[in-house]
Amino acid sequence: MTKFLLTRLRQSLITLILVSIVVFAGIRALPGDPALALAGEERSPEALAAIREAYGLNDNIVVQYGRFIGHALTGDLGTSSRTGLPVSQAIGQALPVTLELAALSLLLAIVIGIGAGVIAAVRRGKPEEWLANAIALVGLSIPTFWLGIVLVLGFAIAVPVFSASGYVPFGTDPLDNLRRMVLPSIVLGSGLAAVVMRQTRGAMLDSLSADYVRTARAKGLSRRAVVGGHALRNSLVTVVTVLGLQLGHLISGAVVTEQIFVLPGFGKLTIDAVFTRDYATLQAVVLCTSAAYILINLLVDVVYSVIDPRIRLGGAK
Amino acid sequence: MAVALVSLVSGCTSLQSSATEVGGVRKTDERPVRDGGTLTVALNSDPDKLDPSLAQTLVGRTVFAGMCEKLYDIDENGTLVPQLATSLPEISADGLTVTLPIRKGAKFSDGTPLDAAAVVTSLLRHRDLPGSARATELGPVKKAVAVGSSTVRITLDHPYTPLTGVLADRAGMVMSPTALKKYGKDFTNHPSCVGAFRFVERVGGDRIVLEKDPNYYAADKVHLDKIVYKPISDGNVRLANLRSGDVQIGDQMGPVDVQSALTEPNLQLFNSPSLGFQGIGVNVGNVNGLGEKPGKIDTPLASDVRVREAFDLAIDRDLLNTVVFQGMYEPACGPISPQSGIAPGVKPEDCPKRDVAKAKQLLKEAGVKLPVKVELKTSTTPEQGRVGQVLQAMVKEAGFELSLRPTEYTTMISETDEGDYDIFTSGWSGRLDPDGNVSNFLKTAGAMNAYGIGDPDLDKLIDEGRSISDPARRTEIYDEITKRVQDDHSMIYLYRQKNYVVASKDVAGIRVFGDGLVRVTNAGYIR
Repeated sequence: MTKFLLTRLRQSLITLILVSIVVFAGIRALPGDPALALAGEERSPEALAAIREAYGLNDNIVVQYGRFIGHALTGDLGTSSRTGLPVSQAIGQALPVTLELAALSLLLAIVIGIGAGVIAAVRRGKPEEWLANAIALVGLSIPTFWLGIVLVLGFAIAVPVFSASGYVPFGTDPLDNLRRMVLPSIVLGSGLAAVVMRQTRGAMLDSLSADYVRTARAKGLSRRAVVGGHALRNSLVTVVTVLGLQLGHLISGAVVTEQIFVLPGFGKLTIDAVFTRDYATLQAVVLCTSAAYILINLLVDVVYSVIDPRIRLGGAK
Repeated sequence: MAVALVSLVSGCTSLQSSATEVGGVRKTDERPVRDGGTLTVALNSDPDKLDPSLAQTLVGRTVFAGMCEKLYDIDENGTLVPQLATSLPEISADGLTVTLPIRKGAKFSDGTPLDAAAVVTSLLRHRDLPGSARATELGPVKKAVAVGSSTVRITLDHPYTPLTGVLADRAGMVMSPTALKKYGKDFTNHPSCVGAFRFVERVGGDRIVLEKDPNYYAADKVHLDKIVYKPISDGNVRLANLRSGDVQIGDQMGPVDVQSALTEPNLQLFNSPSLGFQGIGVNVGNVNGLGEKPGKIDTPLASDVRVREAFDLAIDRDLLNTVVFQGMYEPACGPISPQSGIAPGVKPEDCPKRDVAKAKQLLKEAGVKLPVKVELKTSTTPEQGRVGQVLQAMVKEAGFELSLRPTEYTTMISETDEGDYDIFTSGWSGRLDPDGNVSNFLKTAGAMNAYGIGDPDLDKLIDEGRSISDPARRTEIYDEITKRVQDDHSMIYLYRQKNYVVASKDVAGIRVFGDGLVRVTNAGYIR
């Protein structure tokens, strides 16, 4: 297990370094001068020159990259060229928001997706399966932006149960926090729930027709033990893989959701940074997101090596 | 109708009408308010640095309006009035010495007293700080000294009439010298000025929080406890938040959102005409980039003024306003707003009318090959896209084949500054003094002259407009400048935006003036 972990960690680190180079170069390949974005409406040549000087934009890209990595290793992610605030502070403020949003959406997707998937598989050919499939199809097809606006109109304006925007930390006011987070979590989680449901249903159907399930049934185990203990456990390997891959989509989906619900998370930070060519913020955000993505993949590998030890053995060879 | 509405507004103190009037002007709501409460203002983007020397954005100015007073301000008629100064400046006969009397007894939010020395410190910082966005505006300031504790004397390199207008914007904001000393470059995270509200915290991308400042000299007239500014870039989302009551004021609302807001009984509308302009810039000589000597461009539009005139004549400004902006903006044909308190410009009804027959005739005289192909660079907003499409249809009838190239804003600015375009949508939020709408754009190698205009006679007029103080003569000069630009058609002015602000109906005392800022100093919830 240790050897497997070390190998995967090393691979992850190399990936992260490569990503940082690509991100750094990619951001600088964006058309549009950051000094111009920063100077805004009033752009005198003197102000532009001073901005370029202040943010080291005149140095060559290798020097800029070296400086960035050097500082990043000491935990200094730079200063936002737009707001003048430290980037680490912005990330520190945005991270809990996105993490909470992702966690709630994931929870929603797991509970609803796995539940509906199991029901659809067990009740194959019955109206329950048809209903679950139809809901999943709708969940997959509805654009996030549209669903968000509809939910706001319905549950924040017509019947004001939830809040239309903003973020209050859970620690400050748990109730208000949930009032603001429920709608975005539904928006973000709905697509994922649909994917999870379809995966669970498919995997469960395979498992339920497998020999070991037939054996379990023949031994006279309860229906609950057969479905939950045998079929579902074996189906989860596929579902966890899909969840891991979908977590990446969750992060990108957060970009849109956070815009609709004005949540000050990673997505909003990224969009604002792109439009203002805020290099320091943008590269830090993309790098952190990549690191999270890599970490999630690593965790997925670990989790399914726990669920199915054959995978670990294969990886350690 | 408009006149009736204006008189209704000015003559009536209890304006309880809802968001029902469009086309009129409504800048204030003077219903009595109670003390206390928090007001949340939705801005259309996140402000940049909260440092008056470095700040560049319009939304930033709105936040400053809550916490940083200026030496001068404007009133609802666009006239300059004293704020931290006590009267308009005294200017010597040669125009080179300007004396400002400073308010006594005022304090900064950190408790430091306001005095002439503090004003001098701020003025010199605005002028000299590396990267200062105020450096150009205050360029002619040679010296500033404190004469006693409440008089500032400024010596200029040459007569500079726009100075008072400049001091009614960020260059006139006075920062606490104690905070400047303590925080230096980090002042942006700890701004301290004289204002009704003081800075509490900023969460980037989410909110800027201000609270009532007990040190403010007119604290008894401030009603609210707190102001929260929230950036919400999407107009739809801004409106949804107004409807749900999560925010009480929506700044910079687009015509479509305003139309939706009109159906809402709990919302009210404020608006004021802007001092800026929107139009089409033609590349007539920008071959080497911004600030460089204009060169020759060999396209029919760039090389022949008759072709540009034909393009201009093919445009129906009224129709453009009706189709794209539901008639909620104002047609325009010059750089200076008719609302300007100084040297007002051309009224919308005096703009040239569409004349396709004459446009065709001009193209024939110019002997160009038809259709004349032109590419229009626009930003990627839906509104700009529609402006492009309407223009496309209009100029086609005269013999132009207009293609559109929507380009993300910063990229567009980069490309147009470099001269990489035929024509592009060019706009400006406007300044109080007409010089602010003219010199940077139209002067040879001006800081924003992306058109490549190079006309020595125009330069001379612009310089004269900046240096003389006689208002009548200035009006003549800016009329002459407007006429020259109109005849040259290098910059084709199309319309002026209006500042639309939608507010919850139980909020009163906000003020929306021509500079586009929402003033909340005296705002509050109605009794």
